[in-house]
Amino acid sequence: MLPLRRSFTGALAGLAMLALGGELSAQTGTIRGTVIDAQSGRALVGTQVSVPGTQRGTVAGAEGRYVLENLPAGELLVRYQIIGYETTERTVTIQAGETVTLDLQLRTRALAMDELVVTGVGQATSRRQLSTSVAVLGEQAISEAPVQSIDQLLQGRVAGSTVSAVSGQPGTGSQISFRGVSSVFGSQTPVIYIDGVRVDNSQATAPGTGGEQSSALADLLTTDIERIEITRGGPASTLYGSDAATGVIQIFTKRGRPGAPRITARIEQGVDVPELKYILDAGIIYESRVEAGELPADFLAQSFFRTGWVQSYALGVSGGSEAVTYNVSGRIQDAEGIQPRNESGLISTRGSLQSTLTDNSRLQFSGSYARSTYGRLYNGTAIADPLTALEVGDALFLTGASTVQEATEIFLMADIQELVERIGFSGGYIWDGSDLFGFRATLGVDRRANEQTQFQPIGFTPGNEEGSLLRFQRNFTSATVDAAASVNWPTTENVRSTFTVGAQGFRDNEYRIFGSGVGFALPGSKDFDDAATVTAGETRSQVFNGGIYLDENLALWDRLFLNAGVRFDAGTSFGDEVDFATYPKFGVAYDLGREQRVRDVGGDWITELRLRSAYGETGKFPPPFLRDRTFSATSFRDESAPRFSNPGNPDLRPEVTRTFEAGFEAAFLRDRVGIDFTWYNATTDDALFFVPEQPVTGQGTQIRNVGEISNRGVELDVSALLVNRPTLSWQVGATFQTVNNEVVDMGIAAPFNVEPQKRVVEGETVGAWYVTTPYDSNGDGNLDGSRLQFIRDCEDGVEEGEPVCRAYGPTPTRSGSLSTRVGLGQRLTLSAMGDWAAGHKVMDFGSVWSTFNGIFRREEREEGYEYPIRYSTAGVAGNPYAQSAARSEFIYDGDWFKLREITARYGIPDELAGRLRAANGTAFFSVRNAWIWSRNPLIDPELSGLNPSGGGLALGGESSITISPPRSFRVGLEFTF
Amino acid sequence: MRNHAHRRLLGLTFALFLGSGAVGCDFLDPTNVENPLTTADDLAQATEPTRALLPGLRAQFARAINGTIVLTEVVSDNYAIHGTGLDSEYDNPRAIVPNIVNATGTATGLYWNLQELRALATFVLDDIVPGDATATPDQLAEVRYYRGMAYLMLAENFTAAPLETDGTPVAALDLVSLALADFEASLAAGGAGDFTLRTRAAQARTHRAAGNGSQAAQAAQQALATEPNFVFLQEYDATSISNAAYVFTTDRALREMQPLPRLDFLDPKYTSLSAAVPVAKAEEMHLILAEVALAAGSLDEARGHVANAIEIALTRPRPSFNDTDQRQNANLTLRPRNAEILIRADPESPFRAGLVLTRPGSVPVPTISGTSLRADSVRALTGEEATWHAFHLARQEIHFLEGRRMSDLGIRLPMMLREIEANPNISMGGPGTQVVVPAYIPQDNQMDNFSPASPYDDNDQLTTTEVTMQVDMNRVLARERVNAFN
Repeated sequence: MLPLRRSFTGALAGLAMLALGGELSAQTGTIRGTVIDAQSGRALVGTQVSVPGTQRGTVAGAEGRYVLENLPAGELLVRYQIIGYETTERTVTIQAGETVTLDLQLRTRALAMDELVVTGVGQATSRRQLSTSVAVLGEQAISEAPVQSIDQLLQGRVAGSTVSAVSGQPGTGSQISFRGVSSVFGSQTPVIYIDGVRVDNSQATAPGTGGEQSSALADLLTTDIERIEITRGGPASTLYGSDAATGVIQIFTKRGRPGAPRITARIEQGVDVPELKYILDAGIIYESRVEAGELPADFLAQSFFRTGWVQSYALGVSGGSEAVTYNVSGRIQDAEGIQPRNESGLISTRGSLQSTLTDNSRLQFSGSYARSTYGRLYNGTAIADPLTALEVGDALFLTGASTVQEATEIFLMADIQELVERIGFSGGYIWDGSDLFGFRATLGVDRRANEQTQFQPIGFTPGNEEGSLLRFQRNFTSATVDAAASVNWPTTENVRSTFTVGAQGFRDNEYRIFGSGVGFALPGSKDFDDAATVTAGETRSQVFNGGIYLDENLALWDRLFLNAGVRFDAGTSFGDEVDFATYPKFGVAYDLGREQRVRDVGGDWITELRLRSAYGETGKFPPPFLRDRTFSATSFRDESAPRFSNPGNPDLRPEVTRTFEAGFEAAFLRDRVGIDFTWYNATTDDALFFVPEQPVTGQGTQIRNVGEISNRGVELDVSALLVNRPTLSWQVGATFQTVNNEVVDMGIAAPFNVEPQKRVVEGETVGAWYVTTPYDSNGDGNLDGSRLQFIRDCEDGVEEGEPVCRAYGPTPTRSGSLSTRVGLGQRLTLSAMGDWAAGHKVMDFGSVWSTFNGIFRREEREEGYEYPIRYSTAGVAGNPYAQSAARSEFIYDGDWFKLREITARYGIPDELAGRLRAANGTAFFSVRNAWIWSRNPLIDPELSGLNPSGGGLALGGESSITISPPRSFRVGLEFTF
Repeated sequence: MRNHAHRRLLGLTFALFLGSGAVGCDFLDPTNVENPLTTADDLAQATEPTRALLPGLRAQFARAINGTIVLTEVVSDNYAIHGTGLDSEYDNPRAIVPNIVNATGTATGLYWNLQELRALATFVLDDIVPGDATATPDQLAEVRYYRGMAYLMLAENFTAAPLETDGTPVAALDLVSLALADFEASLAAGGAGDFTLRTRAAQARTHRAAGNGSQAAQAAQQALATEPNFVFLQEYDATSISNAAYVFTTDRALREMQPLPRLDFLDPKYTSLSAAVPVAKAEEMHLILAEVALAAGSLDEARGHVANAIEIALTRPRPSFNDTDQRQNANLTLRPRNAEILIRADPESPFRAGLVLTRPGSVPVPTISGTSLRADSVRALTGEEATWHAFHLARQEIHFLEGRRMSDLGIRLPMMLREIEANPNISMGGPGTQVVVPAYIPQDNQMDNFSPASPYDDNDQLTTTEVTMQVDMNRVLARERVNAFN
């Protein structure tokens, strides 16, 4: 694939050079100045300074200094934007060849109400006018975050989201959930768009290796992103139609600004340190061997885990002329991993071009290529998983080795490698037309191809001793077309209206194919067809989905904002028969802060107050072809052997989530405290359940529209500027959300399990734990029976005299984050962020496994805990309960807090940067996953390594022995030339 | 100029969008999606649908045999669980609840796979055959045979099972009648040859399940008259539907199933993923005749039939196999694994040699039948209980790992939890929903126990050569006079 990459980046570079060649110099002037905080006088490094309508812009550097060159002579509007401050505009007139100094003081703003967003509305609209809540992450927040992928970036930064890592192994993604589990089929991962093009968001892109799955989220990088907009389902997502019930994440990449080429170089070095909090190690598991001196008590810490070196280098160029701007970047990265065979590498490039065709129209193009490689270990439920086998005491048995050291060597013979290549492009045309009309169109493709190889060499005793090879390839292509036209009329002072009509369509094609060989005669063979037994298989899926939408935004007296819209959707989930759905939305927002009476009363104390409320519907189509009755066949003894596959359901239709939400934004105390609050009530009607057929039919499960699922909760985002002095600024922030999830109605469907031990039953949360629990069957005080039951906490509260005994599920009912940012002097910024989740239970499969070897891990870690003994009905004590009859003992409180990020950034003095001929420079240090607190001492409750394969509903909360995301230390330097 | 260029570009953009939909860009054509599976419409296009679906029934029968063997052998006294791959509640019959019979897979999903076999056969008979002019009598005979076997095996292992959506459970005896009707129809439809004999043997087994002594004996004799040493095997396929018992009893990746020490010499029985499983064999016919004679009080005749069965069993192949199994308990201590070990079936029994083989090492594998009994010794037996005991022991050994022992012990499983929950006419506690364990079955997992639990010390050296089983279930069955024809 190297030639492809070379040609791609070559093309980008060539276009960039063309753009540079077009640089004009005649009849221009320069604006320079500094941007500081109005109250404290502190320099506002990072302020975006732009001249709207000209593509001209820059970012304020050290001491808040900025320079805008090659500006057309005449009267210009200059805009200053930085998070936490009021967007401010100044008009200035410059003559040709003149340099004007424009120093500016910006006032703090707790809420960025004038920020423009495009997600969920037909046309770019300021947040002030929205009747829904849209979260926005800006360039500064994105570039300063010590993360690699989008899912990691979202952790702790978006109110109303729960983002949980699956595992610490490379290539895995996080489970992202907005506003609870709205559906019991399919993934809860929001749909993701990059520059208007829908991209692969699958959480299961390769064969399972024991539970942990490779995810397409892992290679959605945060490099070169300008802005991310997030809607959490509901009315803000209505215009996205049938796939948006789980929310929409819209990513916009950097496009470059006119000016001389600006080169950014970044070097980052660091180490990943394993988190050993949940590892018992050899001293407990192989106690007798440790006592005999055969094995160090900390064998795993010493000889299995390691501190892994990480290095990353990035180079970017951006700039351009009035006519064409460009941004091209590349990045290479290499990490050793914190356990054997977890090495990973990354090469990525991204480029964009924006060409101004006329004063009011432009073409945009962006493209990217990323190549990731990584090694993996088996995990979770796989008997070839070294870590679990060592931690549950099965390593010797499974390998046949005589020492733990030898067993470890045998386990590490297995080699799992994955290669992911991802290419995406987006081409867009925007015509601002006139004040009356506008038009935009986007066409793009995301293509992701990955190959996984699982090689077990001859002599790998946990597997087939004669060796085996599995090779798997997945090819995913998604194409998007999107066009919208808008009319702005009337545009009087008191009445402004924008009406948009748009059409959108996408097609996803997925092909999976695997070949497997078992039994090699000779070592060294890496072709599966050399093996004694060769098998192959494939699955394919195609779906087209498209829709037309209408959206009307009406602003009255600049304070009352009305919104109405509708999306008509069509999809081919049913094969040739295209089905239609209609999703309406309505909303109203009232900007009380603009009422004179409120201003009179509030003064400086209440600077913003806006109320909003909205209703909207979103949907979810069933997976393709599940309306049909189908038969599948398998090869059996040289014959094609058919059996029943999908039972068929001619009444199948999309499920619809109706959301009512209301909230307010308010800023207090001279705009130093901001609050964004939303209450939502979402009901999924006609909920699609995979209803198990009665076994008597001989048929499996059929998806049916039988249920109703409710999600209710609140989202709160609070920020406060506590100190704002020349030498010290201190901001704190918090997000908090609750989710009350309930299966309200199951229609004809009997209760069923969505995953082993996770139950869907009326009146309980989706996937409530339903596990075998010892009980006293005859009232003699002894545990002599076992039965399936929910895990309830009846002490939560009292409702009309009855105890509230909701069953616990695996998904958090409360979560949030805390953040703080301190500016010391003019150069140093310290920040920290932690996130947490609570109100759920998690399952510890590793401890289940270890009971087979008589190891009761919970007794080792939880003081005073004793695993239950089974009594006979005659009251005679017997052996400890079989794990299968006492799964309740492996379900723990899931509450956790993680100190997710600590960063320090230092603006390098100009003279020092100047020696390197740099315009400015930043040194930074960061720690990610610095510290964990969890209520249970046995497993990292954030993780969900045991995911169902195939990318279906993944509720998480269940893991075997696995590694937590590492404690990552990084130091780096970034210079702009 | 600029405006001109702009208008042209605008036009081109519109053309592109219109063109992408209209000019057959198949990737953006909403109707151009393909279901990769066979739909009901596709099936209707099949030229010989009955012939096309028969391999599916063969495969499903293989799955049903798989599920029946693994699950019921563990529930019985033949095997104990010593690893992570199987639910340890199976080893304690009274602890079995519908939830743990809830599997749909091939290893332990016997209820599921038997119902699927029955439903698929019914689909072929009711929905396909009437419209298929190409269906032959032989094909119909085969379909009827599989459905009959599904009814029979449901009857052997469950007390009742529904037969249609929302149906009330049909009692085992009625299932047996349905099996007999299908076998009759199969014989009436089928041509001559192997399949007739196979069905005849199934008839004998079904009449036994129904308690029809004379008809069972008649069918058994008819089968034996056709071919005195017959055996029918269900073949497997290493690459798709493989022998499930192999994984748990030979490969033993997770140490799962360990045989009762007094049956050690019969294990392993299936030594490859494609190893075939006996479904019907001449030995069984002789044992049915013996059981009929026992019920009639004809002890001499019964001993003669048992001896006949033993003689055939001893003529079956016994290829050697290098067994690497360590014979470990869950706690990694060793189970009996040396040939010098003597076993007695319970504290009242004499010690016997030859029941345990030295492992790891090369061992003979009775792939069809094996037994520790000798025909002459059985013929020479005196006394009623000794005869009943020999009969039960012969049946246990000869049908070892064929999924028959649990039913012979009188244990019946509850139907799948999903069936109970999804069918409005079935409620927990009703017919077929609870495990049935006869009072003579000992508590907990005592059928599997022996002492000492490990006759080895920490250095894997033998500390005793005498091992005593806690309970001899054949003695229990003999004393209880457990007999299908009583």
